[in-house]
Amino acid sequence: MRSLPKESPGENRLQHDLTDLLARVARPGRYVGGEFHARRKPGATPRIVLSYPDVYEIGIANSGLQILYAGLNDATPAAAERAYCPWPDMATLMRARGVPLWSLESGAPVHEAALWGFTLQHELTYTNILEMLDLAGVPLHVAERGEADPIVLGGGPGTANPLPLAPFFDAFFVGEAEGRLAEIVAALEAPTRAQRLGRLGAVPGVWLPHASGGRAVATGKSGATMAGNGRVERQVFMGFAHTSPVTEPLVPLIEGVHDRAVIEVMRGCTAGCRFCQAGMWYRPVRERPVAMVVEAAARALRSTGCDEVSLISLSSCDYGGVREAIAGIRERFPHVRVSLPSLRVDSAAVVLARLGDEQRGSVTLAPEAGTQRLRDAINKRVDEQAFAAAVRGVFGAGYSGLKLYFMVGLPDETDDDVAAIAAMAESALRNAREAAPGRSRISIAVSSFVPKAHTPFERAGFAGEAVIRRRQELLRQRLPRQIRVRFHDVGTSLVEATMAMGGREAGALIEAAWRGGARFDGWSESFDAGIWRRAAAEVGIELGGPAWSSTEALPWRDVDPLVDDGFLRDEGARAVRAETTADCRDGSCTSCGVCGGEIEMELIR
Amino acid sequence: MSWWLVSFRRDGPARYISHLDTMRVVQRTFARAGIELALSQGMRPKPRLSLPLPLPTGAAGLDELAVVEVVEESAAALLPVRLAALRAAAADGLAIERLVIAGERPRPQAAAAAYECRLDAPGPAVDEALAWFAGQPCVSVVRQSPKGRRAIELKEYVCELSASPCDAGTKLAFTLRYGPGGSARVDEVVAALAARLEIEPVVLDLTRVRVTWQGLPSRSFAATDEIAPDGHVRGQRR
Repeated sequence: MRSLPKESPGENRLQHDLTDLLARVARPGRYVGGEFHARRKPGATPRIVLSYPDVYEIGIANSGLQILYAGLNDATPAAAERAYCPWPDMATLMRARGVPLWSLESGAPVHEAALWGFTLQHELTYTNILEMLDLAGVPLHVAERGEADPIVLGGGPGTANPLPLAPFFDAFFVGEAEGRLAEIVAALEAPTRAQRLGRLGAVPGVWLPHASGGRAVATGKSGATMAGNGRVERQVFMGFAHTSPVTEPLVPLIEGVHDRAVIEVMRGCTAGCRFCQAGMWYRPVRERPVAMVVEAAARALRSTGCDEVSLISLSSCDYGGVREAIAGIRERFPHVRVSLPSLRVDSAAVVLARLGDEQRGSVTLAPEAGTQRLRDAINKRVDEQAFAAAVRGVFGAGYSGLKLYFMVGLPDETDDDVAAIAAMAESALRNAREAAPGRSRISIAVSSFVPKAHTPFERAGFAGEAVIRRRQELLRQRLPRQIRVRFHDVGTSLVEATMAMGGREAGALIEAAWRGGARFDGWSESFDAGIWRRAAAEVGIELGGPAWSSTEALPWRDVDPLVDDGFLRDEGARAVRAETTADCRDGSCTSCGVCGGEIEMELIR
Repeated sequence: MSWWLVSFRRDGPARYISHLDTMRVVQRTFARAGIELALSQGMRPKPRLSLPLPLPTGAAGLDELAVVEVVEESAAALLPVRLAALRAAAADGLAIERLVIAGERPRPQAAAAAYECRLDAPGPAVDEALAWFAGQPCVSVVRQSPKGRRAIELKEYVCELSASPCDAGTKLAFTLRYGPGGSARVDEVVAALAARLEIEPVVLDLTRVRVTWQGLPSRSFAATDEIAPDGHVRGQRR
């Protein structure tokens, strides 16, 4: 039995160093791998390292990385390994002792890999990417990298606006990579780094931010340019509905944030919420057949030993076979809990959730806004009656707790809209007490709206720190004491908005913040607003991100999301008029521009 | 339903996980092997699984014990099949070694456990520190816990201290006695010696080599016993 990952050049020294380090850090299990279903392919080439730039417990629960890991290892000659961001105690020790970041499977230094892929899930992980590059001994800036350095490639929803990370990345893959893995691996066979990059740039979906042949585009206020290999189309994996989900995922030795088997039942969402980047980015909807879902769940449960399976998607209640899938799984595994994330706000969804899991004590619903006008403006098609019925359904079904999600700082929001959140929560409490006297708890979580690229609100701008704080206080004063409220930290939203809306110049901010000590910015105990303020002053950027006028070229214009710009502008105009847009899965095409050619919606009914 | 005693080793990557994570890993191993664990009663049923002597994070365990209740009415003849299934389902670093059917619910208590670790100090210095330890009438450490501060007298619990050369330092071996009031912790023993040695109080390469149990049902189990393929204990050598 191996005591630590081996099969690496210089493994003895590394193993001894690791043993010594692991005795001195919290949760050493983060750094040793050993997961059930871990794939080890000693000697296989090319060696690729996949990273989620956060601590292990967060990263191991990411299903996207599991898909790529299984796909690369099982279907290509490459050896895909993993590395996560070391917690500061480990990072300090690694620097003090000169131990470079290693991958969990082989224990070999990450900088020896041919390709280092990062999944870009949200902006508050960006300083961790610089931390990982530095710990690995890979030069931060693309211009400083040499022949022996890995090609650093970003993927995931963060590529909707890759500009802030452009100084640090050799390439980005825009869209869903499952269908292009073999081409990416083949590109890595070229003999020189420049040739490898060149071949990568020929793979559909790959954007090279530093390619000299690309056109330069001025990006409005910043004056920064976006030289690259031209406009790149987001890739849609049309094999999704015909390909089984991963049924032998990594099962960690230490508990991740989600300790359950995961089956992706559907990709894409056409509900059309105007604030939601994922809803625009992952179009069109593609549904997996119920039989495939049930069989995959059975295999995943047997192969992981989990006692819960989550049927994930952006809106699993909208999956056409959700009831049959839950029933099919429960029939074969009566003691297994079947959970649905992101419940729709209606009583039918609550019933579905109960069907899969009788033990859970609480559920979460997301009305997002307090007034009908504002809900219509963001296209969250929930009315008062449906909300009241959902609340009664929650407590009538035996739940004892309900959490409600709202946002403040939405475009065209007024104080009255925020006050209405309190009224809505109060009415929910009344309904809850009628339905379940004595055992009803309601809490609300309030986040700050951050505009995102390729959404109808991409030019809306961030409301600003003062506005958000004032509205949080307004809401706090109006809420009854029986309702617990938690507000998202405005400081982190400011940083998030700066990255989400920023151009290439925001890279200097990320670097200045990282050099100032910013790490794990998504963690409340780690986030330090002062570091970011000082970094912003140093590089001359105003936190909160620019607001782009309707005539300015957007920094991310060379990323083609497949959703038409005209559709986004039209949706933005409808938001101003508080007009809703129907879900196209109900039959009326909204002309978003995604479908066409080989790309089309795939519904099971 | 049947109670089983499960002998296993924890090493490799699994040595770096906590007691609770070890519980979860063992539980998942049973689930993957298709062996259903019995559940406790109540609102939130939990699998009937216990590891009677928690192993510190970072420690390998060569002589570990789990007590589980399984749903099936176990027949000794089936144990080799179950053992093979568990071995195939075990994660990297967890080696299931033996299964024994216990006639009644076992309530084992550790009487003593032998440990080995490495001190980053030369042999003569460690020898001097051990001589110092042996010569003291008492060696106390203060344990800080959520319940408050408590003085621990190490000499009540530590015995058979010895040192021998090893790569990168000196191997320290000792035994901890366990009683109703608990015992000293390995890091407390190392901290006391490290203070004398003027080295960093870090526990390196810790291994629990052997555990002596009390309270096991008669004719059932000792971790070094040979278990026959039919599940019966072949010899009680300790």
